[in-house]
Amino acid sequence: MNNETKKQTILGYLFLIPSLAVFAVFMFYPLLYTFYLSFFEWNMVKPVKKFVGLNNYIAVFRDPNTFKILGNTLAYILVLLVLNFVLPYILSFILSAVIRHGKSFYKAVFFLPSVISLVVGSILYTWILNPISGPVAIILGKFGIQMPFWSKTDGWVIAVLCIITTWKTFGYNFINILAGVSGVSQEVIEAARLDQVPMWKIFLDIIVPMSSATGIYVFITTIVQGLQYVFTPIKVITQGGPNYASSNLIYASYHEAFTLYRTGTSSAISILTMLLFIVLLLLEFKFVEKGVYYEN
Amino acid sequence: MKKNLKCLTALCMAGAMISLTGCGSSSQSTSADTTAGSASSEATTSAESTASGNGSKTVIEYWHCNAENQGGLTVDELVKNFNENNDHIEVVAKYNPDMYKGLMQNLQAEAATGNTPALVQIGWAFLDYFSNNFSYTSPQEIIDQYDASDKTFLTDNFLPNVLDLAVNSDGVQVGIPYSLSSPVLYINRDLLKEAGLSEEGPKTWEEVDSFARTVQEKTGKYGFYMQEPADFWAQQGLIESNNTSMLTKTADGKIQASFASPEGIQAMQMVADLIKDGAALHVSWDEGCQSFIDGNCAMLYTTIARRASVQKSAQFDVATVKSPTWGSSPRKVPAGGCFLAITAQTDEQKEAAWEFEKYLYSVESMAAWTIGTGYVPPRKDVADAENGLKSFLAENEMMKAAIEQMDGVVSWTSFPGDAGLQAEQMLLDMRDQIFGGQVTAEEGMTSTQDAINALLDAQ
Repeated sequence: MNNETKKQTILGYLFLIPSLAVFAVFMFYPLLYTFYLSFFEWNMVKPVKKFVGLNNYIAVFRDPNTFKILGNTLAYILVLLVLNFVLPYILSFILSAVIRHGKSFYKAVFFLPSVISLVVGSILYTWILNPISGPVAIILGKFGIQMPFWSKTDGWVIAVLCIITTWKTFGYNFINILAGVSGVSQEVIEAARLDQVPMWKIFLDIIVPMSSATGIYVFITTIVQGLQYVFTPIKVITQGGPNYASSNLIYASYHEAFTLYRTGTSSAISILTMLLFIVLLLLEFKFVEKGVYYEN
Repeated sequence: MKKNLKCLTALCMAGAMISLTGCGSSSQSTSADTTAGSASSEATTSAESTASGNGSKTVIEYWHCNAENQGGLTVDELVKNFNENNDHIEVVAKYNPDMYKGLMQNLQAEAATGNTPALVQIGWAFLDYFSNNFSYTSPQEIIDQYDASDKTFLTDNFLPNVLDLAVNSDGVQVGIPYSLSSPVLYINRDLLKEAGLSEEGPKTWEEVDSFARTVQEKTGKYGFYMQEPADFWAQQGLIESNNTSMLTKTADGKIQASFASPEGIQAMQMVADLIKDGAALHVSWDEGCQSFIDGNCAMLYTTIARRASVQKSAQFDVATVKSPTWGSSPRKVPAGGCFLAITAQTDEQKEAAWEFEKYLYSVESMAAWTIGTGYVPPRKDVADAENGLKSFLAENEMMKAAIEQMDGVVSWTSFPGDAGLQAEQMLLDMRDQIFGGQVTAEEGMTSTQDAINALLDAQ
């Protein structure tokens, strides 16, 4: 390494310092502070924080609701992966390889909800999906189907909140995947077509592997963002109810801190959530990342 | 290695210099700012000194949670009117989003910096929390000190049960009730008529039960919805009217949950059975109100504060009746809304805060407040006064039910101590389970009462 390159390298590091400083203040410090708080009992007003050791963690594990919430969290992840990852993948394949006309129209239509606030969307959906007098209920009623009281029914409540979240995040994911899918060379696809390879095979054996770099990115953001986005409809519509049936780890952490003012328990849940996601990411790196195809 | 170090130091120094230059240029601009700032501050000072020509004004802050569509315009109007007619006090109204909880959080932050507003709105649920954690002055103390000629202001103008709403668990009068709401029963007269029921609506919960079932039978629509937001307020009214107290003080002065009495259980089970049989709705608050407004549900038990929106949107003959009773047992309706507390710290600020607060409680201001918000006036004599609500009430029959049941208003249960919020949450979980049909009222209420008492004992 000559002097010039060294200088360049060091200069590069120097340029990283500002963003590092911002991250330190707004990410790492709060993270450490959350870790610190998870060992104390405190309600944000009291002058003294009471040290309780691991009690907050023990309380979290002893609470049967924790496992219900964990189950909900996984259910949200699975449903959102189908709606927000698998579905846009298939649609973008259809749009880039199957359909010939009106591509930009569909792009615009799918992307439109992404620019609307999720709070607005949530309120809108409580009207549209009102189980007694909403338009959907009226249409279903014409076919003799009674709509479930979803906001108060276990299971249904998660499904509907996922749909609302999907309405918001679908377009963004779709545009991203479409970029990846469109990047797959047309010659390969044409060649496969000439050989009369069926469409579903083209999709699974050509499109998916060759666009996997984008795919994996959307896969991860679907999991992470999906859980954060789902917070908004939970907060607006159900507040985690009925009886925690729609709460997820992120809402539970918020609920503990800002409804019950138990910062210790809330921090413990946050830290556990982070650990869970670290494990998930490690698994992903170990098993999935290897198979990803990066063009460069 | 040495070379590396040298390089690094050089670069660090260069970096330092760059940042210093940055500082230099920014400090220049700062000085320019200061000049501009001092010029403007001079302007302000001169403006102030002109004002102080007629005696300098005391500036006080009034914190409220009334968004523009929830009485915020009335707050502005009242404050503007006060400022125009007062030569020594300037009130600055400050809106706090996210209701009483949001205000409480902001107050917490503000107190941490050592400042406090002079007058604040405190939601009933925060009565104990506020008085345990913040520094305030009790209204009678303020009156004795600054308004000695009107020592009996509180007892002259307020019903004792209304004043008691703002008394905390230590027996201290923390503030004066300001915004008052209570639950009433909204009825769809057209739908009741269609079902062959009395248009006057039910008077007792037993009648609510039979009315709801008849509506379902005769019209196929839902008979009843009881509000289910993230608080237990309306259910408290249902349970306490049936000779039950949410909380009881035991002989040794301990406060215990006591809602799982046979009557309390009967009350909750009645609603649960209506839901199970399809005669009542179990949906979220907004959905429930919407269903009533759409004409799909005949009776709605919710706060009088929703009157304006129900009245505006309903396309049928809508009316309100007083909160039902259980047989001949006395009616108990929990109070919603807030009280005003003085958090001013200096004598000058306290005196000014009281003068403004007293203005807010004048008959005219109270009437404006009721018209602008839908809250019931906490003060006596406003309803009948010519300069008060007389003409307004003549036109707004729907307010009457809430005003007439004022003698039955009780405090919104706030569980003592730090576990209070958690106890409230357990009540919500219990309600979900009972109305959802997962447990019977007896199982749910007994086990929740035990759990809450264990929680209260532990602290």
